[in-house]
Amino acid sequence: MDCKQAVREMHEFLDGTLTGPKAAALKEHMLSCPDCRLVFQQLETTDALVKSMPRPSAPDDLTDRIMGALPQSRKKASWLQWVKRHPAISVASVFLLVMVSSFLSLWNEDTQMTVKGANLDQLVIKGDTVYLPAGHKVNGDLMVKRGKIQVDGELNGNLIVIDGTYALASTAKISGETRVIDQALQWLWFEMNEMVGGLAK
Amino acid sequence: MNYVETRLAKLARTGDRRAFAELVDLYKDKMYHLAYRMLGQSHEAEDIVQETFLRVYTNLDRYDVNQKFSTWIYRIATNLCIDRLRKRKPNYSLDAEMPEGEGADWYSLLASDQPSPESEVMLSETQEHIRRAIDSLPDKYKSVVILRYLQDLSLQEIGDVLDMPVTTVKTRVHRGREFLRKKLESEYGGKVFETK
Ligand SMILES: [Zn+2]
Repeated sequence: MDCKQAVREMHEFLDGTLTGPKAAALKEHMLSCPDCRLVFQQLETTDALVKSMPRPSAPDDLTDRIMGALPQSRKKASWLQWVKRHPAISVASVFLLVMVSSFLSLWNEDTQMTVKGANLDQLVIKGDTVYLPAGHKVNGDLMVKRGKIQVDGELNGNLIVIDGTYALASTAKISGETRVIDQALQWLWFEMNEMVGGLAK
Repeated sequence: MNYVETRLAKLARTGDRRAFAELVDLYKDKMYHLAYRMLGQSHEAEDIVQETFLRVYTNLDRYDVNQKFSTWIYRIATNLCIDRLRKRKPNYSLDAEMPEGEGADWYSLLASDQPSPESEVMLSETQEHIRRAIDSLPDKYKSVVILRYLQDLSLQEIGDVLDMPVTTVKTRVHRGREFLRKKLESEYGGKVFETK
């Protein structure tokens, strides 16, 4: 080992990353090299001295000052202030309100059963009831709106029942979660989340 | 990851000011100490701490809860300090003569303008030497040395904070250490080392 390499290894040693045989080789070099011994002793002392520097703490009133300088509140801003600051979005919300009302009337008028899913061929539909028979398997989410669903087989996804009912046989296996949405507003949320989720993708 | 800080940050995000105050209490001393050593000045350090928490507060929505809160706040504070140091550097040559002449140059101006930053904390003569040596570290070594030695961050954490590979952090720790050693040896004739 030459002195240049020895100095490199000294730093590794001080980092705590020099292992057995290499540490021994460094020690051996230093035993026979007074220059390196001196450098090592100086590096070690530098480390210790820097670490021992006093650590002043922040003034006692700093927390109060920091809290006092924060913007008034993150979420509690009143509706009115918010509307004033975001005129464009407010117009959009009025628009949304109109949408919601027309949506609600649609909700009340629409009485047809809807089934959504990836493997609809696995299902048997009789009247207002959807069956997933034992031994059959649906991959992906299954959604039934305004109807009944009877699960005897396997569903590899979420079951979403909107404004309807569901029954699970003992043989039923559902890997995802089961959600029942029976109120118009909940349904609206669901649709909006789907929409936003779709947009985000 | 289930650190107390992450939970507090999530609460603060929903507008819970008490949770945020707890975060301030947990981190203000660390941030103050970091800024104090980076800038060598208590007044500026307080500014940085205030600015750091303000940024944390207004950016809580952007905090990634999968990341350690400490890494995030150290990054904000360190960047603010580095910016401040950069702005402080005069962009003219230090050797240039003052416009008024009389032989005064920027060096002497800086020297006379230098406040005694450590007035609140009494330092021994040796510690005063160390303080000056740390102050004189080039910026890129200074942040690494301070995070490593005075904030006890691991090399990996420093890499995360400064957004650089661990190997670079390591090299900078080594160079910084070497810089300090040479400084202490040349300026004080190795006297500092005899204390141990
Ligand atoms: Zn040697």
